[in-house]
Amino acid sequence: MVHAFRKNSGWPQYAAVLVISVAMMLADSRTSWLDRPRNVLSVMLSPIQWLASVPSTIGRYFTSTLTAEPDLQIAYDNLRNEYFKLKSESLLLRTLEKENQDLRALLTASDRLKEKITLAELMDVNLDRDNHRVSVGRGIRDGVYVGQAVIDDQGVIGQVTEVMPLSSIIVLITDPGHALPVQIERNGLRTVVHGTGSISLLRVLFLNQNSDILLGDVLTSSGMGGRFPNGYPVAVVTGVKVIEDEAFIRVTAEPIAKLDRSNHVLLLSRHTQTQGEKRVEQLMSGDN
Amino acid sequence: MPSSNDSSSGSLAFVVFVSAFVARVLTMVQLPGWLFYFWPDWIAIVVAYWALVAPKRVGPFVGFIIGTLLEVLFVRKFGVMGFGLATLAFIVNSTNLQLRALFIWQQMVSIGLFIGFFKLLTSWLAGMVAGFTITTEYWYSLLGTVVIWPFAFILLEELRRAVRIR
Repeated sequence: MVHAFRKNSGWPQYAAVLVISVAMMLADSRTSWLDRPRNVLSVMLSPIQWLASVPSTIGRYFTSTLTAEPDLQIAYDNLRNEYFKLKSESLLLRTLEKENQDLRALLTASDRLKEKITLAELMDVNLDRDNHRVSVGRGIRDGVYVGQAVIDDQGVIGQVTEVMPLSSIIVLITDPGHALPVQIERNGLRTVVHGTGSISLLRVLFLNQNSDILLGDVLTSSGMGGRFPNGYPVAVVTGVKVIEDEAFIRVTAEPIAKLDRSNHVLLLSRHTQTQGEKRVEQLMSGDN
Repeated sequence: MPSSNDSSSGSLAFVVFVSAFVARVLTMVQLPGWLFYFWPDWIAIVVAYWALVAPKRVGPFVGFIIGTLLEVLFVRKFGVMGFGLATLAFIVNSTNLQLRALFIWQQMVSIGLFIGFFKLLTSWLAGMVAGFTITTEYWYSLLGTVVIWPFAFILLEELRRAVRIR
């Protein structure tokens, strides 16, 4: 690599580099040929990765160890109260779920898919403006797969984009390249929410002038596209601006999940078998 | 600078990579909200600086290597940053004599233009391969970059003098 620093030949070098990078772009966006070289390089560069994360690790260590005892007591009390509240609510929930199932059976609607939940701890936060990614300590070994939805205790955080043996990388919903199908909780209007690069700002693009959307509306995942299960809260509308000359209104929203504050996230995986499939399988095995 | 001997190019490579590493750490610093959008593009600044002061040796190829390594570290699609940084290095290379002769504010404006072009190019390419959407806020960092350029320049000059690279 030092060789590169001996001579800069200008045009020929530039032309060669352009050809190589265009080839790399094509290869990386259409095929998976570059995945192996990328993994090898990322293992080689992992000391650098670690070194770069030292400042933030030290900061986190100090904030977590230098907490006063009264603060901890308050936090503990809050958690305990929350626990009892949730516990009592979940009692009610069980009967509701049973009732819901019965109603669905009456309507002969399909069962709602149940999601399996895996708890994962954040390992590394790579937040730069144009690239919102975090890595968590669950990987292939724990059955994580690409496209899995990720939530925290408040709402949707993002989805898994890359899985390594012991860890995986999650792209947040605020990443500039991320879009998520949602619907408005109040009236069921379906739309798509886009990331902007800011941790507290999302945009809803392409809504007509006469769309029914108001300040404070809650956007929940709509389940379109098949990645995110429906019904999880995503964002709250914080701004609706109508400009007469423009075809679409400008809508901004704020994520509900604590994108930059949660230390633990939940990975949702779909149960691959529904009741019907199970029954079919039982019948098949009965035949044999 | 007719003589570019091997020992000097070794230490140059080392210093360039160290400064790129520092730029990468600076890019990821957790920031308060008001500063977030104006935080400069440190990596573009570092590449532009080295392409300006050592045009015989730091050119498109070095930019490409730094870009590719960053793409590995940031887990982005390959080729975009390499393309952009190579172009930036090439532009600065081919105008380095004029850039050096300019007043500092004129230099700030020119570097702002070049880095603006770099941002435009990379966002287009990222839009094509990774679905990146350009927002208005995307351009705010250019202001931070232009303002920070003279200070970054002085700091990097100090670094270069400390390791005696000419």
